[in-house]
Amino acid sequence: MSHVNAVSFTILIILFLVVTLTGFAAARWRRAEDLLQMNEWGLGGRGFGTFVSWFLFGGDLYTAYTFIAVPALIYGAGAAGFYAVPYTVIVFPIVFIFAPRLWSVARVHNYVTPADFVRGRYGSRGLALAVAVTGILATMPYIALQLVGIQAVLTVMGVGSSSNEFLKDLPLLIAFVILAAYTYVSGLRAPALTAFIKDVLVYVMIIVAIIYIPMRLGGWSHIFSVSGAHLKAVNPKTGKPFGSLVTAPAGEWAYATLALGSALALFMYPHAITGVLSTKRRDVIRRNMAILPAYSLVLGLVALLGYMALASPAVRTGVKAHDSNAQLSVPLLFQHMFPSWFAGIGFSAIVIGALVPAAIMSIAAANLFTRNIYKEFFRRNATARHETKVAQFVSLIVKLGALLFALELSKTFSINLQLLGGIWILQTFPSIVAGLYTRWFHRWALLLGWAAAMVYGTIQAYRTPGGGQAHFGASSAPVFGQTMYIAIAAFVLNLVVAAVLTLVFRALKLPEGADETQPAHYLADPEPGEAVDA
Amino acid sequence: MSQPTSNPKSHRPITWAVITVLLLAALVGTLWVPFYARTTPKIGAFPFFYWYQLLWVPVVAVLSWICYLLIRPGNRRGSDGHRAGSSGFSGRDGGGRS
Repeated sequence: MSHVNAVSFTILIILFLVVTLTGFAAARWRRAEDLLQMNEWGLGGRGFGTFVSWFLFGGDLYTAYTFIAVPALIYGAGAAGFYAVPYTVIVFPIVFIFAPRLWSVARVHNYVTPADFVRGRYGSRGLALAVAVTGILATMPYIALQLVGIQAVLTVMGVGSSSNEFLKDLPLLIAFVILAAYTYVSGLRAPALTAFIKDVLVYVMIIVAIIYIPMRLGGWSHIFSVSGAHLKAVNPKTGKPFGSLVTAPAGEWAYATLALGSALALFMYPHAITGVLSTKRRDVIRRNMAILPAYSLVLGLVALLGYMALASPAVRTGVKAHDSNAQLSVPLLFQHMFPSWFAGIGFSAIVIGALVPAAIMSIAAANLFTRNIYKEFFRRNATARHETKVAQFVSLIVKLGALLFALELSKTFSINLQLLGGIWILQTFPSIVAGLYTRWFHRWALLLGWAAAMVYGTIQAYRTPGGGQAHFGASSAPVFGQTMYIAIAAFVLNLVVAAVLTLVFRALKLPEGADETQPAHYLADPEPGEAVDA
Repeated sequence: MSQPTSNPKSHRPITWAVITVLLLAALVGTLWVPFYARTTPKIGAFPFFYWYQLLWVPVVAVLSWICYLLIRPGNRRGSDGHRAGSSGFSGRDGGGRS
């Protein structure tokens, strides 16, 4: 596999250079008076309209998860991986309801992170710290998933296939260092601008793939029947079939809870909230929730690439040759089906589709650390410039942490990285979303509910074997006789603990903490009306 | 999810009821797995399981757009005039900056 296709590789390099230059040039885009302000570096000046936001959200939410992890799961297990479609169908209606309230209160009080809001709402540094730490922790495996996606493409291209461990990871490291550099310089403007390039590539790639590949493979009926036959085959490791074309009754709970848990979790991620807060008007969010499903359609079609890969003998041979690494199925499919120049475009779409969200994620995690840990606990009087400098630096550290996740955890089903993040981040939902509507929950009850759920979720995930590893092998586990997504079980525990302890703490008359927000702040909209200032 | 009615920005409860029903329909339709976990009827070569779930994507887009139209700012008196002028790249700092 040391043969590197020169045409594909050249196209990838050229497009990578274009993205890099755009990333650096983004610092000058809609130029700020001073880029060293958190509102500027971390939120792109809070000025993105519907059009830019649509691309930013797309760049943010449709990642290597979409292009590599979901089709890999479909390739390996069939229908079980299709839960990503109901997940991305229901996520937007859910966000439609609560995100505008978060936007408004954040605009009035100048909140940059979800933890800022929790701090202001509950007057609790502890609860804000919990939200911040969870956000950073959950983001790391999500960024790691982006690395795995880039690595899959590089492996198929034969880049970095040297036996030397350092040389093997070198191309990935170079790509990451460059990404880190332009994120450092341009902040959120970089991914917002590069998201345009990414989306054009992705749409071109998927439209061509969905028309051209089935023609070459002998049509959809052939694809479904060959895939069905392969999924029925018995897996020698488990003694059960690999999967099925339609979810089995035993898998229905897992299917629904994975979709629901992922949907509830998505907009708790700091990078998704960053996208919400960077919009110019309250109105922009709701309008975007109506037009974002266009990406869900792409996700559904990309997921089906998994079946196309399964129906192609060349891809099956290729995957087997690489220790049955299903992550390689989509890049291999491109390599075998497309002429090399178009394969290069497809590879670039995946790589850039992983770099853009990685940039947004590291910015969001850096914002959290700076605002809610560094400034809160170490340097209370940090100036705005100092704060931004720290955030820039932390964005580098976060990427390093992600690199460790990527190298340490198994890559059998990289989707687990995202699902593990989901188990953690979903536990901030009660503090954030319930907080947008009511102060009924006691702040300490929320904190203890969060703690209980985090401990339970982590232990449960640790104890779940799968994919050849004893721990953190899968994200669904039996709860009361039904196999379900651990995040949902932990979430229920979280709510129950928080509710019961709220009643107890109220009866004990424990201090409620100060609330700096008022009901009208949740509906505020400075534009088009007159400015509401903090 | 309904707001205190004393606020001028809030909408009539009926609007929120409609929105809740539309969005709940999407949740039930996509999460009720036993309903669609089958292969027939097919559309072309696509088993029911796949086309049914993919069909929900445009359906939800339409539902969300209806909800958006129901509660967009221009739907109330007094805010229409401002909407038209603020769609460009100008007016970046809409307040709240320190």
